[in-house]
This record gives sequence, C-alpha cells and structure tokens, in this order.
Amino acid sequence: MLEIRNLHATVGGKEILKGINLTINAGEIHAIMGPNGAGKSTLSYVLAGRDGYEVTSGEVLYKGEDLLALTPDQRACHGIFLAFQYPVEIPGVASATFMKTAYNAQRKFRGQPEVDAMEFLKLVREKTKDLDIKDDMLKRAVNVGFSGGEKKRNEVLQMSLLEPDLMLLDETDSGLDIDALKIAADGVNRLRSPKRAGLIITHYQRLLDYIVPDFVHVLADGKIVKSGDKSLAHELEEKGYAALSAA
Amino acid sequence: MTDMNKMTPLAQDYLDRFDTVRTRLPGYENPAVAKARDAGFARFAALDFPGRKVEEWRFTNLSPLTKGIETAEAPATGTLAKPEFDTPHVMTFLNGRFSAEDSRLDDLPKGIRLASFAAELDAGNTTLPDSVAEESRAVVALNTAFMEDGYVLEVSPGTILTVPILIRFVSLPGSDADARHMRNIIRMSAKSEMTLLEEHCGANGHAYFANPVTDIVLEDDARLNHYKLQAESETAFHLANVDCDIPKGASYENFSLSTGARLSRNELATRITGGNATSILNGAYLMRGKQHCDTTTITRHLVPENDSRQVYKGILDDEAQGVFQGKIHIAPDAQKVAGDQLSRALLLSERASVAVKPELEIYADDVKCSHGASSGELDSDAYFYLQSRGIDEKTARKMLIDAFLADVLEEISNEAVRDYFADVTARWMDEV
Repeated sequence: MLEIRNLHATVGGKEILKGINLTINAGEIHAIMGPNGAGKSTLSYVLAGRDGYEVTSGEVLYKGEDLLALTPDQRACHGIFLAFQYPVEIPGVASATFMKTAYNAQRKFRGQPEVDAMEFLKLVREKTKDLDIKDDMLKRAVNVGFSGGEKKRNEVLQMSLLEPDLMLLDETDSGLDIDALKIAADGVNRLRSPKRAGLIITHYQRLLDYIVPDFVHVLADGKIVKSGDKSLAHELEEKGYAALSAA
Repeated sequence: MTDMNKMTPLAQDYLDRFDTVRTRLPGYENPAVAKARDAGFARFAALDFPGRKVEEWRFTNLSPLTKGIETAEAPATGTLAKPEFDTPHVMTFLNGRFSAEDSRLDDLPKGIRLASFAAELDAGNTTLPDSVAEESRAVVALNTAFMEDGYVLEVSPGTILTVPILIRFVSLPGSDADARHMRNIIRMSAKSEMTLLEEHCGANGHAYFANPVTDIVLEDDARLNHYKLQAESETAFHLANVDCDIPKGASYENFSLSTGARLSRNELATRITGGNATSILNGAYLMRGKQHCDTTTITRHLVPENDSRQVYKGILDDEAQGVFQGKIHIAPDAQKVAGDQLSRALLLSERASVAVKPELEIYADDVKCSHGASSGELDSDAYFYLQSRGIDEKTARKMLIDAFLADVLEEISNEAVRDYFADVTARWMDEV
C-alpha cells in the first residue's frame, strides 16, 4: 500500500529525514518509535502533504502512484488520514459542519452522492457513542475548548467516519490517561482490516499494548536504524533509545 | 489651515462652480436654504479636503480624489437592477436624485413619513441641517453647500415597523454629474422603532464621488437599526458621515458592510445623552485589488449609565488597505458607563495592509472599557487541518474566512438583513 524509498526531507532548510525506506502492505500495522527530534512527526507531515516540508530526494508510492504529486486534500480523498499530535482549534467552524464538509468532499471525490445533514447526524451519532463523545461536542467549534483527551478522541472520531485506507497516527497517546487511551485504541482497532494499513508514531511503548503492531521500526536522526516485531518495542522500553543508538 | 491660493484641484473646482451650480440645486429660491449653503460653502472654502497632515486623515490619502476625478471609459448606459433584498418598502435615488418610478412607498404604515430631501427644500420645508459654522469635517461642509437630495424620514411616537425599509442610492453611467452630495435626515419620536437598510451601489467602470451625510436624532426610548451596504463602483469614491444622538433609553444599531469603491471612508459619530442608552457600531469590510476602506468612529458618552459596543472585521486581499480608527470618549461625569471596541483584520495577501488606531478618552473613573485590535493571515495550521480531511483549498479558505466573519454578522439583530449580508459576503468569497 505504501512504499517509501530513500526519502529525504527538509524543514526550513534543515534536513530532518535522511533516507527513509519503509514498505507497508495492506492489513499491516507498523509502529515507528524514536527519541524526540528523530523526525517522526516530520515523516507524518510529509506523508500528509503539509506545506513547508520539502522532499529533496526519494519517492513515496501509495497504491502504486506517486503520492508526493498530490495535494493534501487529494491524499485524504485517496484514503490517507493523519491523526494529529496536536489537533488544531478552529474558532467559528462547528465540528459537525467541518466533519460533514470533509465527509461529503470525500464522497464527491469518489463519485458517491453527498449525504444531507440528517443522514450525516445519524451516521456520526453511531460513532460518537462508541468513542464516548458527547453530542454537544458536534455543535462546538472544532477542538475549541476541548480537553486533551477530547481532542484525541475527536481525531479518532473523524477517522472512524472517513474510514481511510491508510491511518497515520502521530503520538495519539500523548496527553491521554489510561481510560481515554483504551477508548482511542479500541476505535483504531475497530478499523483494522485486511484492506487497511496503519502507521503508528509514538514515543512510548504504552499505546502498542493496545494497538498491537505487526512491525516496529526505530527512527533515529532521520533514518530507520532498526526494525523488528512487537518485541522490539518492549526492548526499547527497557533499554532506552540511547543504548540502541550506541549499538 | 490651507492656503487659499493652494486649494486642491477638486476643491478649487467646487469653489469655481458653486455660484453656477447652486442655481439648479433644490431650494434655490429659499433664503434659509441659501443661507445654509453659504455657510457650508464658507466652511469648506476655509477647510479644503484634508491632507495627510491632518491627524484624522493620516492613514487615508484623498489625493486620488482631490486631484480631480478622471472620467473613466465607462459604458455609455447602465440599467437599474431590481433590488435583491426583498421588502415592500423601497426608495430609490438614481444618480443623486429621487426616482419615484423606482420606489415603492405607498404601503408605509401611518406614522412614518419618508420624503425626498430635494422636495422638502423646494417646498420650503425647514428641515435643514444644523449650522455648519463649527464643522470640522470638510466633506460635511461641502455636502451642506451642494446638498442635492436624500431622504427625510420622520417616525411618529410609538410607531413600530419591523419590516426593513430599503433605500437605494444607485449610480449609473450616462449622467453628467460625477458627485452625489446626498443629505439624509432621520427623526425618530419617543418609543418608535425602525429598521433601515441603505444600499449604495454603482456600475463598475463608472467613476464618481459619493458624499452622503446622515443626521439622526432619536428621542427617548426610540430604537433604530441602521444598516448599510456600500457596494459602489470599483472606481468610485465614497466618503460617508453619520451623526446620531442617542438619548435616554434609546438604542442605535449600525452595521456597515463595505465591498465597493476604490476609496471609501465610513465615519460614524454617536453622542449618548441619556441613561440606559446604547450605541452599537459594527461592520465588516471586504476589499481586494487596490481598494482602500477606512472606518472611523467616535462614540461620546456624555452622561452616566449607558453603554457602547463596536466590532469591526476586515478581509483584505491583493494590495487592499484597511483603516480602523475608533475613539471612545467618556465625559467627566459619565460614571457607570461600559464601552467595548474590537477591530480584527484578516490579510489574505502579503501586500494587503491595515492601520488601526483605537483611542480611549476617559475622564470618569467608574467605567468599564476595553479595546482590542489584531490583524493576521489565515491560520495555516487550521488550513492544513481542513485540507488533510479532504477539503479542497478553495473550500478550506472559504470556511476559514466565513468563520472569521461569522460572529460579527451574528451581531445584526434583523434576521433578513443578516441573511442578506451573509449572501453578499459569500458571493464575495466565491471570488477569492
């Protein structure tokens, strides 16, 4: 589904990604772990197409096509979803309006009829129940005044609604207490399927107890320095990143 | 303050033409009118158009106007479009003169008198602006000298009309005159309530100078919702002045939406002269190209226990310039007064700019006042967030601009006008 070949990227003229190679097949969940500043979030932004993250060499194929040629909204419409580490507050835009606009934009892109407000509300209510999200959140402005936990659950809500093919989770566990973490992880696990893939970016192994990955990679200084199965995550938790970098 | 020998070319032109032009202005035979015009003329001759050395005009350069209006290559004729705003009460001024055939005033309820100012002057009615001897605003003095037409609205005690009256000032190519010195007078008696929507518009490519002056006097407990859409031709100049007295228990709500004119200034002055009175001045300006839009307000709290609010939001694209100057004056004895002011501008281009000058002049000690001003670009984080969910660039931009304007449009208490202004802004945004 996703093939990253020798990816180099700069932010503000500084090289952050220094030759990433990674292949993710449908049905697989990969975790990328690494110390702060390793380039984890940069990788997620490059994949989502954020402005200011410049790819200097290498390529990314998504479903066999050149991902880097697409705009962020096209990438989303092709089934890529980034759950943000820091979900953005947007005063003046109601959550329900935002989600309906996104949902219909993607349906339209795929040639499906758009849904009306009533239909949409019904759909979204099913999802909010699972994620323990109160209905009044839909009326509030996007992420405005939400607690850290609410923001992260809101990301998972959007993901459940948009049903992406490739889920990118950037530090979804940060700022969550254990109950909120479980709810969010359950939401992600419900989406797991042989047709879907996921890339989970995390600093700690904690989240991986709940969303169990098929592969774990260690990112340090812009490169993947080690890959393994889920046991690698436990090893990192015990020994720390420093030991690994020294090895 | 200006050397008489060095008037701006446009001012000199007005001085030269006054004696000829006044013979065809309304009320020529009436000595009271002649006296008012003379006073206005003398005052204007002493003032000239303000240059940028005048503090109040530091941010707005009138020289594109004062060097003389170039007659642009305008289409030879234009047609008057039907009003988009739906109301049974419509008064239309075409190229500065009342057009009875384009107006519908028959169904106005008893207690409301709406007349043409020119007809009033011709009929010898004494509805005349107050003395301009002390007038410091040159364009108001100029208006008094050359006032041509406008509306006179008188509302009798207790009369309530919730349906808005639409007053249109339309400029179409094909007229000789390149100026519209409209004079409007509103007198609302005790406990009366009215909603008024003014539309100032003109065919694009058509250059003219609109200089409307509106004098408003409210009596106790009167309530006026006064809305204005300024959608003049993109080559026009629009310098508007509104003065409003707000006594005990009265409320004045103004909302000005500006999208038009090459250079515009909306100057609003309210005087709160009673307790429990409210002055609300809100607005939005949407500018692009090389448009310049200035909003200048002064709210004077002269007595205790009343409040004022102001919220202005601007969206500036391309090389457009915005100006907001807002002054809140609280007199020494005006205790227990609240005054809030907020100005925010959204810059859609690096070349767009806004100048903001909030001023608080507070001479009383028991008051609650606030002012805030900000300007900035579209939030790039929010923009990316929307796009990352599949929303295209254009829609994302529109959503964010819409969100920026939403709260100020919400301030419009008349629902029909609020919806209409939302439509106008949505159409403007479609072109972003």
